[in-house]
Amino acid sequence: MRRFYKPVLWLAGIAGASAIAFMLGNYATDVYRKMLIWIALALSFNFLFGIAGQVAFSHFAFAAIGAYAIVILSVKLSLPFGVAFVLAIILCTVLALVVAIPATRLEGFYLALATLAFAQLVTVVLNEGGDVTGGTGGIAGYRLPAVFGVTIRGPWYTVVLVLLVAFTLFILRRLDQSYFGRACRALRDNSPAAAAMGVDIARTKVIAFTVASALAGLAGIGYAYVDNVINPPVFGLENMFLLLFMVIVGGLGSPLGAIAGTVFLYLAPFLLEPLVGPGFLVVFGVLVVLTILFRPGGLAGLLSLVPARKPA
Amino acid sequence: MTAQPLIRAQGLTKRFGGLVAIEDVGFELYPGEILALIGPNGAGKTTVFNLLGGVFAPTAGSVAFAGERLDGMPVHHIAGRGLVRTFQHNMPFASLSLTDNILVGRHTRFTGTLFDILLGRARMRREEDDARRRAVELIGFVGLGERAGSDVSTLLFGEGRLLEVARALAGDPRAMLLDEPAAGLTPAEITRLVDLIRAIAARGIAVLLIEHDMHFLLPLAQRVVVLNFGRTIAQGTPLEITRNPAVVQAYLGEAASGFAQALSHA
Repeated sequence: MRRFYKPVLWLAGIAGASAIAFMLGNYATDVYRKMLIWIALALSFNFLFGIAGQVAFSHFAFAAIGAYAIVILSVKLSLPFGVAFVLAIILCTVLALVVAIPATRLEGFYLALATLAFAQLVTVVLNEGGDVTGGTGGIAGYRLPAVFGVTIRGPWYTVVLVLLVAFTLFILRRLDQSYFGRACRALRDNSPAAAAMGVDIARTKVIAFTVASALAGLAGIGYAYVDNVINPPVFGLENMFLLLFMVIVGGLGSPLGAIAGTVFLYLAPFLLEPLVGPGFLVVFGVLVVLTILFRPGGLAGLLSLVPARKPA
Repeated sequence: MTAQPLIRAQGLTKRFGGLVAIEDVGFELYPGEILALIGPNGAGKTTVFNLLGGVFAPTAGSVAFAGERLDGMPVHHIAGRGLVRTFQHNMPFASLSLTDNILVGRHTRFTGTLFDILLGRARMRREEDDARRRAVELIGFVGLGERAGSDVSTLLFGEGRLLEVARALAGDPRAMLLDEPAAGLTPAEITRLVDLIRAIAARGIAVLLIEHDMHFLLPLAQRVVVLNFGRTIAQGTPLEITRNPAVVQAYLGEAASGFAQALSHA
């Protein structure tokens, strides 16, 4: 029974989220699209941090690599979009592997430092990249080209972003609900015991990091055509910390929690900013501290979006 | 015991800098046999486990498992060969359900690749369903049936010991290393554990255990290896061990004659 019911639920979710795209004005469309990008990033970051337990600050750096790669390859080098897309994904995957293989040997704090250094390096390259990256001003004035003769504009691009989120969620759920996902959670909880059960700790960590980072790159590609502008600050540490907050407030390890946390923290400033101005960041900070202290399950725990896993 | 030994440890030596943890320890373990490793604290028992389990490579000597050299192999390769261990302290995966804890123990028996997982191949679902069925069986086998739906953090200490055993069994091992399985258990739990270990050995699984509780161990083990200061001081049946003056002096003390009496009447 459940096997028939599940695809229906997915289709309904995609259709519902897509339908919203056709009801929104220009400003609301922009807000909605960026929220979808945030959700895609939060889902993959939740897998990396919440499930695999890797405190990595490189997530936005990989989004930047995806976004800059697609624009530079397709606009500056005039490659066909399909080719540029595949190359951008390959670049993200390869760079993720290059970072992951040494970095995932590090634990906790040291992994955080190594990925922080990588993120800063990417920001420096983007700022100092001259004509290639457009320096501090970034790159603007391009548009999504026709893909196989189809030009995607307006609400249809929002639908593409809905599909991006659905794809990300789908891939990560498949991994999470397999022996691979269990191995990720097991090594986060107790890596010596996981190794004794036959889990290859290094390999599992590298795969989790690479898959999550490649998905961040994909979200970056999606972002590149939201405003048709990319510049370094968007991919900076400030947003990286906001992403961390979203996943923590949502409830570590829960994909639905990551979505809830993202929607909540993404929309909160629209309500809070008129009231407290830039002080909303302080409110966020307090919220995160309160979550960690009193509700480690986050929003997901609060709304019981994570039922105790189905007893077999 | 004319069969080939499943595990053959020869001349195992481990030095940490100038400290000799164990020196020239050797023994054989046969399928379905229950072998005990005893000795005072610091005698090197857990070091032997860590060498067999791949946590350290021996300074000298070798471990053969079903004819294959295991020493120097990384930890995660060893479980897949069919040699699996439990820990002296409970090491559950705290955020996983009881069933999922046990499923991690079956990690090495999943054959699907990452692509099979991503494509949701039917084979993967069959493996997963099959593994879940076996996990439920194992939960019953070790006597945790009533706790099947519980959060592992709510398990009592003794139940946590049983979870360790079930998790180790999940990968269909050929040999199990149990590090002080009875420590901290109530007498009733120990009785259950004895039955459980006998049932495991009856399945043809070789059991090597470290234990301090001689009331539990001596009636259970078929053979005993005694370590003291990193060296083997005796090897033999429980009865022989309790009558060995070196063992009595180093470890068993005055209680030895009581154990010997109990054993010879059993």
